[in-house]
Amino acid sequence: MILPGRIVEAYIGEYAGGKSENALNRALELARQGRKVTLVDLDIVEPVYTLRPIQEELAGLGVTVIAWKTRETMGLGEAGTTLKPGARWALRREGDIILDIGYGVEGAKTLNLIEGAGTDPDLRVVAVINISRPMTAGVEDIVEHVREMGRIDGLLNNTHLSDETTVEVVQEGARVVTEAARRLGLPVVATAAVAEIAEKIGPVDCMGNPVRALTRFMHRSFW
Amino acid sequence: MAKKIFEKEKRAFMTGNEVVAWAALAAKADIMYGYPITPQNEIMHYWTRLAPKYDKNFLQTEDELSAGFTTVGGVLAGRKAFTATAGPGNTLMQEPMSMAEMLRLPTVVVIQQRGGPSTATVIYSQQEVNLTTMGGNGEGLRIVYSTSNHQELFDYTIKAFNVAWKYRFPTFVLGDGYQAKMREPLTLYDPESRGIELVETEPFVGKKGVPGKDRPPAQYRNTFSLEEELYDRLMEDIKDYERMAPEVAEYQSSGVEGADLVVVGHGIVFRAVRAAVENLRDSGLKVGYFRPVTLRPLPVPQIKELAASARKILVVESAYGQLARLLKEAAYGSTAGILTLFKPGVGITAEDIEAEVEKILA
Repeated sequence: MILPGRIVEAYIGEYAGGKSENALNRALELARQGRKVTLVDLDIVEPVYTLRPIQEELAGLGVTVIAWKTRETMGLGEAGTTLKPGARWALRREGDIILDIGYGVEGAKTLNLIEGAGTDPDLRVVAVINISRPMTAGVEDIVEHVREMGRIDGLLNNTHLSDETTVEVVQEGARVVTEAARRLGLPVVATAAVAEIAEKIGPVDCMGNPVRALTRFMHRSFW
Repeated sequence: MAKKIFEKEKRAFMTGNEVVAWAALAAKADIMYGYPITPQNEIMHYWTRLAPKYDKNFLQTEDELSAGFTTVGGVLAGRKAFTATAGPGNTLMQEPMSMAEMLRLPTVVVIQQRGGPSTATVIYSQQEVNLTTMGGNGEGLRIVYSTSNHQELFDYTIKAFNVAWKYRFPTFVLGDGYQAKMREPLTLYDPESRGIELVETEPFVGKKGVPGKDRPPAQYRNTFSLEEELYDRLMEDIKDYERMAPEVAEYQSSGVEGADLVVVGHGIVFRAVRAAVENLRDSGLKVGYFRPVTLRPLPVPQIKELAASARKILVVESAYGQLARLLKEAAYGSTAGILTLFKPGVGITAEDIEAEVEKILA
């Protein structure tokens, strides 16, 4: 697949939907291709599962990470949180930019704080959907959820049940998310699944969407 | 007409706070009163997202005192009402819950424990055991379920409403910040489709008929003029509580018979206890585990039996002896050695417990 010159993607969506996991895996995928990648932690809504604890590990894998260090964030969660200046100006950086954004409608608004987000010609905003999350379980729920969040350029099927995920769980997600995307007039960017399941599904899911293999990092990155 | 909550049983992937909101919905709760505090906020967030879809209500109050007292008010009006809080919010909640205790009101409160004392951390602890089981200026006439996973958060939140309305004691679901925020799969279900009958609510005030003629007057008092009056009333409540205890107390245990050491833990720490005990047994050690599911009332006869048969008991908790104190009181008179692994305000892993047990049994 020929990739465009500059890739700029923002991952948004429902709480615990898989935004960070997909954002960091995308950044790693691009880095493995020898591309210069910056991954930006923009979750100022809910700092519990965050890129902070694993940023050095990700840096070791060739990704530049813009995120607070835990020790820099005393009082976090109670006293609110601050946008890191480097994050605000991230779109001025060279190379690919992957933005990991906080959840829901409030999270989506974070994008407005990023300099150049409204005018960047390469930016694509991707809504991550897991139909095992009750709030985005059905086509209508997803359509409503996506419409609430403002600008979205594509959906990503991230349906899973943690360790209980099967090929069928992911494929059912592909069917529901693809139907929701059709109603919204949006493309499905990909279906994502842990490597073991992704391998069983093959390069495309049952709806013809490309499949991305994920390595799980986020279960180790609490606070 | 509000839509059906669950068409059929299904596996879902959720955070603990979200589970509580859905469980309250499944239990047909009418209204949540709340004031935000981490780490319980998403209980409110999800309830407020679900409420308009299912004809439910929500009131945000100005603090936890008000959240507790409005919950009391909701119950007095016959509504299945609940609230949720944590840490210093739980401290404030003790005043209204004492009133609920005195009036025998079936309030339901979900606690997601955070570090203490005071504001401390927003993250995690098991330091709200004292407060939740025995808080307030009374005798701790309440029911406290300590959950250890998302399925239990769902099951016991539903159960809390039923038990509260059946026995008319304030009922608490005691989770913690880890359970609140972590994600795992569980089965969502409609309790009635599983044959779980939801206990009917009824108003305490504003009942039909003329008081003293058609029905006894509805007189609910939290103030008494004479000591003896209070004494008589309290002793009645205490008798009711003691009669209820064996019906409500729950526990889980394994391999305690003939064990050299039994590890005791509750809530999320029990997950580490169970994993550690399984690993230690695989390596040939005679160890078992015991977990009180209800911290109030405790499964006292089972704890006495355990303390009589085990040689050593290791109490493990993310607090400095809050569970151990309850356990020791229940086990009073036994000769078992009671050892402790206390890590107030931080998580405990299976490796921590295995290392401690190996040291003790070496």
